[in-house]
Amino acid sequence: MEKFIRSFVEGVTRVMGNLPVREIARAINIIQAVYERDGRIYIFGNGGSLALATHWVSDFNKTVFSHNLDQETRRFQAIRLPSTEEELSAWANDVGYEMVFAGPLQNYLQETDCVIAISSSGNSPNIIKAVELARRRNVPVIGISGFDGGRLNELADAKIAVETEKGRYEIVEGIHAVVLHLITKYFQDSFDHQIRKRAAG
Amino acid sequence: MILVRAPLRISFVGGGTDLPEFYRKHAGRVISATIDKFVYVLINPTPLVDKFTVKYQKTEIVDHPSELEHTRLRAALLDLGIVDSGIEVGSFADLPARTGLGSSSSFSVALVRGLHAYLDRSLSKAEAAEAASRLEIELVKEPIGKQDQYAASFGGFNVFQFNPDDSVEILPVLLDYQMRSRLEDHLLLFYTGITRLASSVLGEQRTRIGEHFGTYREMAESVPEFSRRVLDGDLEGMARMLHEGWLRKKTLASGVSSSLIDSLYETGLSAGAWGGKILGAGGGGCLLLLAPQPGHGAVRSAMADLARHSGLAGFKEIGVRFVQSGTDIVYNNQHRRSRPE
Repeated sequence: MEKFIRSFVEGVTRVMGNLPVREIARAINIIQAVYERDGRIYIFGNGGSLALATHWVSDFNKTVFSHNLDQETRRFQAIRLPSTEEELSAWANDVGYEMVFAGPLQNYLQETDCVIAISSSGNSPNIIKAVELARRRNVPVIGISGFDGGRLNELADAKIAVETEKGRYEIVEGIHAVVLHLITKYFQDSFDHQIRKRAAG
Repeated sequence: MILVRAPLRISFVGGGTDLPEFYRKHAGRVISATIDKFVYVLINPTPLVDKFTVKYQKTEIVDHPSELEHTRLRAALLDLGIVDSGIEVGSFADLPARTGLGSSSSFSVALVRGLHAYLDRSLSKAEAAEAASRLEIELVKEPIGKQDQYAASFGGFNVFQFNPDDSVEILPVLLDYQMRSRLEDHLLLFYTGITRLASSVLGEQRTRIGEHFGTYREMAESVPEFSRRVLDGDLEGMARMLHEGWLRKKTLASGVSSSLIDSLYETGLSAGAWGGKILGAGGGGCLLLLAPQPGHGAVRSAMADLARHSGLAGFKEIGVRFVQSGTDIVYNNQHRRSRPE
């Protein structure tokens, strides 16, 4: 049992060691620019990736400012798509599953926004459809993918590919959660720093 | 109505190597960062007013864009074929023109982004930078380079490399919030109150590039080193390089400095600043200094004293922070009409 656990952890550590640090930095800059222009962040994925998206939204919209909820009234506007199950099932049932993200996204998307697409294979057709819509409108795309990065990694402006053998969902999704938490922590520290500075005059 | 916002920029080293007389022979490089001072362009259809109305420092109301005095607006409207009247274009800015912060190119990028949006077209950052460069350099014949259009369009802290084949590479300098904030804390920016037209200085500079080719090469080659110092947080090293760059730049054309600008700069150094430079083409505009933080008070009062004695009524300190955002359409209520998605 311990051997299994150790070998799993070693696998995760190896992949963690190869994270595309520069691309994560680019993603942070994209989000920083969106904040400055008061835009919105739309995040989406299928299955486990949709769970990651939902988790990140709740962290990002509140945890980033949790030390300063009174001092910082302008916060992030991160939104998971589709925002309701009703919307998801309506698009899937009436139009087709490939439109569950692009459909709702088209309603909202402005040039001031950015998009975070999560797909372990990087090839889910519904994810690619939404990313293509964002690109047509020149909206920056942060692509969080796994395996060989797939089409998502080619299309994204910030190419966060967690490279593994095909099918290693457990490693890819776990590390995706780490990357998303890293982004949240960066902005939490950054706003803490700014607010401390402001208080010090 | 369409509202576009474009940031101004501080250019650190390599300015001038973005002129084609240089970069067509040797890759040019510039490092710059956008700041929280913006130019805004507002475009609005006026269906009941059968005119072209443009509002900037003055207001012009004409029947055809070819009658406009504003060179960039005239050229942009004609070039894009916007010749059916019933449109107004206004420009607003946090800071006046001719400060050396690249405002005219920020205006051009915002204008082309806005006019394309008016025609229901979306431009990428690179397309907007190229369209604004073409507008200013080819259509209006300004003797300027492309660094400011790229800086305003992309936003953030970047190295731009201008290749001999006219392509441009964008290499972001990925600074974290601590580094960015530390740099902001040591930086002083003063508007000298001396105004000049960039084109008057650059016009002379451009015709003499051959004479000073070696100096331009040194300037372009110093950019990667400056970028490393930025990432290392080596403020004194950055200041030293700004100082060296400024000394080089003064040799390139007669109007880059003046005895008054020199004494302002020297006063800053004597009061404790590590180094700095005049921003933009030179001849006036803003003076940038890097100085140890406890000494900022001394630098401020020494500079203000000299400015007062020299009769520089417009002299003023400008507080700045760096921004990551480039040129953005911050509001667009035109419905997407025809473009299928």
